[in-house]
Amino acid sequence: MNRPSTTIRVAAAAALVVAAACSDGTRSTGPEPAPVLRTAQAPDLGSLARTVPGFGGLFLDHGVPTVYLTDVTKRGAAERALGAFAQSRGFAPGDIRVLQGRYAYGDLDRWTQAVSYEAFDQGGVVFVDLDEAANRVLVGVERGASHANIRGLAARLGVPAEALVVRETDPIVYAATLQDQVRPVVAGVQIHFGNFLCSIGFNAVSGGQNSFVTASHCTNKQGGVEGTQYFQSLSSQANSFIGTEVADPAYKRNLAPGCPKGKLCRFSDASRAAYAAGVPFTLGGIAQTSGPNNGSLTITGTFSITSEGNAVVGDVANKVGRTTGWTQGVVTNTCVNTGVSGTRIVQLCQTFVSAGVGGGDSGSDVFGQTGGSSVRLLGILWGGNQAGTQFVYSPITNVEQELGPLTTF
Amino acid sequence: MWGGAVFCGAALFVSGRGLPQHPLRVTLVAPASVRQGKPVPVTLRLTNTSDAPVTVYLTGRTITFDIIVERAGEVVWRRLDHVATQQIVQVKTLAPGETLELRARWRAAAPPGNYTVTGVIPTDREPLRAASVSLRIKP
Repeated sequence: MNRPSTTIRVAAAAALVVAAACSDGTRSTGPEPAPVLRTAQAPDLGSLARTVPGFGGLFLDHGVPTVYLTDVTKRGAAERALGAFAQSRGFAPGDIRVLQGRYAYGDLDRWTQAVSYEAFDQGGVVFVDLDEAANRVLVGVERGASHANIRGLAARLGVPAEALVVRETDPIVYAATLQDQVRPVVAGVQIHFGNFLCSIGFNAVSGGQNSFVTASHCTNKQGGVEGTQYFQSLSSQANSFIGTEVADPAYKRNLAPGCPKGKLCRFSDASRAAYAAGVPFTLGGIAQTSGPNNGSLTITGTFSITSEGNAVVGDVANKVGRTTGWTQGVVTNTCVNTGVSGTRIVQLCQTFVSAGVGGGDSGSDVFGQTGGSSVRLLGILWGGNQAGTQFVYSPITNVEQELGPLTTF
Repeated sequence: MWGGAVFCGAALFVSGRGLPQHPLRVTLVAPASVRQGKPVPVTLRLTNTSDAPVTVYLTGRTITFDIIVERAGEVVWRRLDHVATQQIVQVKTLAPGETLELRARWRAAAPPGNYTVTGVIPTDREPLRAASVSLRIKP
């Protein structure tokens, strides 16, 4: 349908591609993309409906201008109305392809608007479109949503059953990034406190308290509880307050075994914050981007924590964080006592991974893939080298040794 | 010690995040020459040269920065070599004309000769880099 909303058109086109394999009802010819994008103004379909008798829709099929006519003997009118358009696309008026249409554009337009007006009250409706490439009204619904409800509605509105196509499609969502506000809150997204930015490591329940875990140095003071207030993704956004620091053990001298002389030690750089009432979060959820080590920050899905464990040298480990996204590499060292640059802190028994990291990734989840979107939680990232090619994390056993037992999935 | 040394500086203009019309200037200041084995004070200066505040996304609770000393293209010393730094972003707004100074010191434990010194300030995107300056280590 020739509506002004480019967004809707693009969304509908995307949905058509997604839904191509799961339609019911009438088969669509399916518009094929033109080989070259052109800037010529597309004809106004409403005007065509008024000037071409029986006009039922216009689209490009492999670049060829193609029209539906309920009376194919009116081809001459179509050629006259669309001749200039065809020429702008490199075709003579006689090259315009005419298909037998069943419904007039005016009827389809009226039915589409009527269905659209009421259909969005039904659960799971994604889009309503006058599908000019199929000469039908097309309704996209989420998987599992009722087709019968839409068909019943259309029937009540006087839309012929054969004029309606209902297709399952993915919901259209905003393309959020790891640095955007994301609800429900999942691991890997940006958190803001004071004048610092970090990432969420994982969601957890501790003693019945809904929580998230991040790095200890991602609190107002590393070690010790000061009630750090967290915002996701920025405090300047509305409804961005998500929780308050509640657990962050102090760093200690002479922490046995292995704390070096004169240093302050812990076995994990981890802290826990309690979610504020009403903040939605996904237990076990980690934001997923389009692939490892590709630099993308756009969220395309969610990993699910299904187990916890420790890594050995040679294992592949992953992290998702707000700065460098999803990175993946090989575990190179385990149980390393690691000095923290610019401090008197030594983190005991940490794990090194040969994978990308950047400022702002502190607090990120570290995990191993176990098949599909299932992952094994390995720990909390806190550090990296100057080149951004190696990250350091606190193993999950160290984290739970210091924060107490956590339900993470 | 700064006494008796001749200092030189090098600057590089870069764009502030989201404010390409408001440049930041990164300057490295180091002595032109020092005696072998003596400390070499190095200062990195990040200056907002515009007439509007500029927000920068630096790293570390204490701001992380790197100093690299090279001779004939080979790294002789690097401040952040073989250290683990906390991967936290510090959001800092520089007022018009404000300068952030970051100081480091290197003991010139290298053979006499001509060296270059470079400064790098990591951000959550591309690092801010100062142009190199020359350093002569004297016997």
